[in-house]
Amino acid sequence: MFRHPLFGLYGLLLIGASSVASYRGFSFTDVNTVQGVPKSVRDNPGVYRAIYSSYHRYSGGK
Amino acid sequence: MVRTLECPNCGGTVELKYERTINAVCIQCLSVLDATNPSLQILQKFEGAKRYQPKIPLGTRGKLQGGQYEAIGFQIRQIEVDGVTYEWSEYLLHNPYKGYRYLTEYNGHWNDIRTLRALPVASSKGSKPSVIYGGKTYTHFQSASAVTAFVMGEFPWQVRVGDSVDIKDYVAAPESISSEETEGEVVWSIGRYTNGAEIWKAFGLKDSPPAAIGIYSNQPSPYTGRIASSWMTFTLLSLLLLLTVIGVAIVSPRDQAFRQTYTFSTGNTEPSFVTPVFALKGAQASLQVQLKTDLSNDWAYFGLALINDDTGTAYDFGKQVSFYAGSDSDGAWTEGNRSGSVSIPAVPAGRYYLRVEPEMEKDGRPRRMRYELTLQHGAPSYFWFVLGFLGLLIPPVVTSIRAFSFENRRWAESDYGALVQSSSGEDD
Repeated sequence: MFRHPLFGLYGLLLIGASSVASYRGFSFTDVNTVQGVPKSVRDNPGVYRAIYSSYHRYSGGK
Repeated sequence: MVRTLECPNCGGTVELKYERTINAVCIQCLSVLDATNPSLQILQKFEGAKRYQPKIPLGTRGKLQGGQYEAIGFQIRQIEVDGVTYEWSEYLLHNPYKGYRYLTEYNGHWNDIRTLRALPVASSKGSKPSVIYGGKTYTHFQSASAVTAFVMGEFPWQVRVGDSVDIKDYVAAPESISSEETEGEVVWSIGRYTNGAEIWKAFGLKDSPPAAIGIYSNQPSPYTGRIASSWMTFTLLSLLLLLTVIGVAIVSPRDQAFRQTYTFSTGNTEPSFVTPVFALKGAQASLQVQLKTDLSNDWAYFGLALINDDTGTAYDFGKQVSFYAGSDSDGAWTEGNRSGSVSIPAVPAGRYYLRVEPEMEKDGRPRRMRYELTLQHGAPSYFWFVLGFLGLLIPPVVTSIRAFSFENRRWAESDYGALVQSSSGEDD
């Protein structure tokens, strides 16, 4: 590391960033969020319109 | 003692500074003269078309290897490879106590050369011939027939334009060993690659030396030693990364926020339901939703929404689980997995509940599935460490590629061609 101070610094930053990202659970992919879901969903879950409700299911098998 | 004589060809003044000079070249008409003859017999008249100017003017003194040397002779030598003529300059330097040494220059690359006092031992390195001298192996680089194209100054040997010698170069950067063979006589010399700036400084020359073009046979690689040390740094950093992985794995909270087993049956009832409210504590972290089912030759899709009970913010996601098994002529087989998990990144602390909407095949047949739902907050994502490891690989890999590219370009000029041939077919 002492012969490559820049590589050493880069590596330490990379390890630090990896640790924080891992610990905090960061991700490149984002989960869709919906704001303002009414409290009534708890009483009537069927009224909630999930974004993935039209997702096509796999029905394979060999 | 300087002897001043008259050129028998042009009448110009010819100064002979050294007792051991055998041939001298008139600086006016460039005739090669016999310095051992009191009347300076003409040995060769200049018939060349081009008159070269030495970059180190003859008579200039400079300090090299602890000795004061004077440039007394200059010649241009050429080789022809694949119909292309390459030429380089040679300067003969003299010190009355230390003797002679030479400087060569090709495309801005300089070598400080002296003759060998002992013969190198012939050997081989891989498929290439080599010589061993001073315990160091020099690999054969190039063989060629060199022709003298221009001479100027004084020489302690017979020199003529048109003289031809067979040259073999062996390299072990930053040094090279060369043999020059003429009619049974072989002269061995060793050269050390030298920067033009050092030559300019040594001889107190004005301006700046010509920039070096390309890579010379014994030019030291700027990557020598850096490959091993960069991989060593990579190893140390990788070990540090591994320790960090272990550390993060230990300190990550992995709080089990919720766990419950449910049963789902297809039918006319509303499939969706919500879990009781649960608390996610601590810092912002990923939430892992694990599903364990008892599916067999079936699939299920879980429409899921993690909803913050206080803010009404919902993370909407889904997960399909399927598992098939059977046997055929190839034997037993399985496909898929009864379990699955989804990771929701960076979920802040708060009070949440999960809306679950299971779904199975709607073919009229009744289906039933038992499944366990587990939510774990703060499980580390090891993907980032994999990414970090790949990031650590970049510097040593780039250094190795550059070092290889340097050597490839060096050997492209040799008799053996590049280490890896260019796919474009370009020949430079």
